[in-house]
Amino acid sequence: MHILVCVKQVLDPDGVNSYAFWGRLTVDPSGRAFDTGEMVPRIINAYDEQAVEAALQIRDAGIDCRITVVTVGNEESGTILKRCVAMGADDSFHIVDPGAGAGDGFRAAALLAGLVTELGDIDLVLCGRQGSDYDQGTVPAVLAERLDAALVTMSAGLTVHGDTLRVTRVTPLGEEVVRATTPAVVSISNEIGTPRYPSSRRMMQARRQPPERREANAYLESTSAIGVELTALVVPDVQGHCEIIDGATPAEKSQRLMQQLDERGLLSG
Amino acid sequence: MLVLVPSIDAGAPLSDAAAEALGAARELAQQRRCDVACALIGPNLAAATADAAQLGADTVLTATGHALDGDARVSIAANAVAQAQARVVLLPRGPHLLELAPRLAARTGGASVIGVTDIRHVDNDVHAIAAVFGGAARAQYAFRASGPRVIGLAPAVAAPPDRDPARTATTIELAIPQPTGRVTTLEPAAASSGPRLENAKLIVSGGRGLQDGENYALIRELADGLGGMTGASRAIVDDGWASFEQQVGLTGKIVTPDVYFAIGISGASQHMAGCATARCIVAVNTDPDAPIFKFADYGIVDDALEVLPELVRLARERA
Ligand SMILES: Cc1cc2nc3c(=O)[nH]c(=O)nc-3n(C[C@H](O)[C@H](O)[C@H](O)COP(=O)(O)OP(=O)(O)OC[C@H]3O[C@@H](n4cnc5c(N)ncnc54)[C@H](O)[C@@H]3O)c2cc1C
Ligand SMILES: Nc1ncnc2c1ncn2[C@@H]1O[C@H](COP(=O)(O)O)[C@@H](O)[C@H]1O
Repeated sequence: MHILVCVKQVLDPDGVNSYAFWGRLTVDPSGRAFDTGEMVPRIINAYDEQAVEAALQIRDAGIDCRITVVTVGNEESGTILKRCVAMGADDSFHIVDPGAGAGDGFRAAALLAGLVTELGDIDLVLCGRQGSDYDQGTVPAVLAERLDAALVTMSAGLTVHGDTLRVTRVTPLGEEVVRATTPAVVSISNEIGTPRYPSSRRMMQARRQPPERREANAYLESTSAIGVELTALVVPDVQGHCEIIDGATPAEKSQRLMQQLDERGLLSG
Repeated sequence: MLVLVPSIDAGAPLSDAAAEALGAARELAQQRRCDVACALIGPNLAAATADAAQLGADTVLTATGHALDGDARVSIAANAVAQAQARVVLLPRGPHLLELAPRLAARTGGASVIGVTDIRHVDNDVHAIAAVFGGAARAQYAFRASGPRVIGLAPAVAAPPDRDPARTATTIELAIPQPTGRVTTLEPAAASSGPRLENAKLIVSGGRGLQDGENYALIRELADGLGGMTGASRAIVDDGWASFEQQVGLTGKIVTPDVYFAIGISGASQHMAGCATARCIVAVNTDPDAPIFKFADYGIVDDALEVLPELVRLARERA
């Protein structure tokens, strides 16, 4: 079986959080991107690292499979592929898209579908449940539509049985189990567990195996957004209004807190 | 303008979320001078159909079917969009939003944005505004696809419209497609019949500041003592100290209690995305600079493991 794992480079969300907290998250002159420069690193979307892990777990379960990873992005975005190869992926593709409009999952999905068609033998596409940048989760759904494949989102684990998959999903009501036929697109949630850590020897090896390069215009003629275009970013100004409860001991502080809440009638329900 | 409600329980009325979507649709329809259609999917739609008409739908499209899967919902939705000739489609928040919005957009040559908190009119088109990075910032999106603008709404984007009990609508029955059989449910989620975190009036949540999974027992004791429910940050759900059903945040539950206790929780934007609209937030954290104090109404800067036993004692005394 041939598995394609789609991975995306994002600004480290913890870094963005710290910048926001210290009031230093600002927007650059284009009005469409943060002004964090090199200060906040670009990393692999955590859910996508978990999608690579999900693919490797299928191999560990004894399924004979080839695992290919792919990313769509600018020239620099290919760096995340090395880690995936070091984790155990067989090969990698970098679709270089200078027109990659930030946040246009429809464009990314069209390019990814182009590669799937070119490869011709993909049975299973694994994605993360959402990019931790725009929190949309567009790409897996649009890919499934474009490839006319089954779609299963929010997987916490999956096993392969011939040409069907057994997928455990996380839902707001608890876990559910579904069966899906291949070809399928499955998106992976963090409940799949911690991704394996590549050894330094494998990291060295991966460095000698650069990704195969594809140009976006091999699959799409236009260079602009095809779904949505992010036209402006705004950082909200959060004004704190917290009343810190004083007291000499934890007991005293607790006492005063409960009194405050009681006076506001917040504990009567 | 189409409001699409992808799943209604047998005989159930329209949810608050669907009513809010109709409110948003009516505001938009007035600006765009168009009608409001509402498509409903479920096994018995009589009550919901009457609701949709009374809350402002001019046309109600009904797809009456049992145990429909994602493939069926996309086909029905695409059919509804064609019938209503809808340029803008609004979906209320709900479990099907994540899959249905982008699939419908892709199927109909449109584009989608979910988690939309605001819809703007720009050059005779709509722009959608949604949180990014868990709420650290907001993005405005223009639609570049030629097809429908599919918008998944965040909670409380609009008020539910006033009800007019005399109002009726034209109804159109939509066909139910043949099942594709591509995805079959083997074991449904065992929905517990107990109270739900989303409806709780008081929630006590714990985070990594509890130091150890065993200390989560103190969170349970405080919640019990105050007659509330327990929540958790994703960090401790990942660590196995609490279950996924308890996770509050962007990728967990969105809760709206009167009081939310955040104990040993740093206050990352992705956590706050789930609880920021609580009436009152109480934070207990050893770090006076923790982000949570920016969102809290009351704060105690101290060790959670010393404060919790005191709070538990006081709660028991009150009871
Ligand atoms: C795409 C994405 C989605 C996410 N979704 C969610 C989500 O749905 N929900 C969620 O919660 N998170 C989510 N996160 C994770 C989020 O960014 C944070 O990492 C997480 O909320 C941190 O959990 P925490 O506050 O328990 O732990 P930490 O950040 O480790 O904070 C622990 C806090 O405890 C304090 N502390 C330490 N010792 C004590 C003590 N003795 N007494 C009192 N306080 C103490 C510390 O000062 C610190 O503030 C998501 C992240 C991403 C990227
Ligand atoms: N530019 C991209 N390149 C490769 N995969 C992507 C890209 N964008 C999104 N994906 C995949 O789609 C998932 C959902 O992303 P998104 O739709 O951006 O929220 C991600 O977790 C990735 O698996």
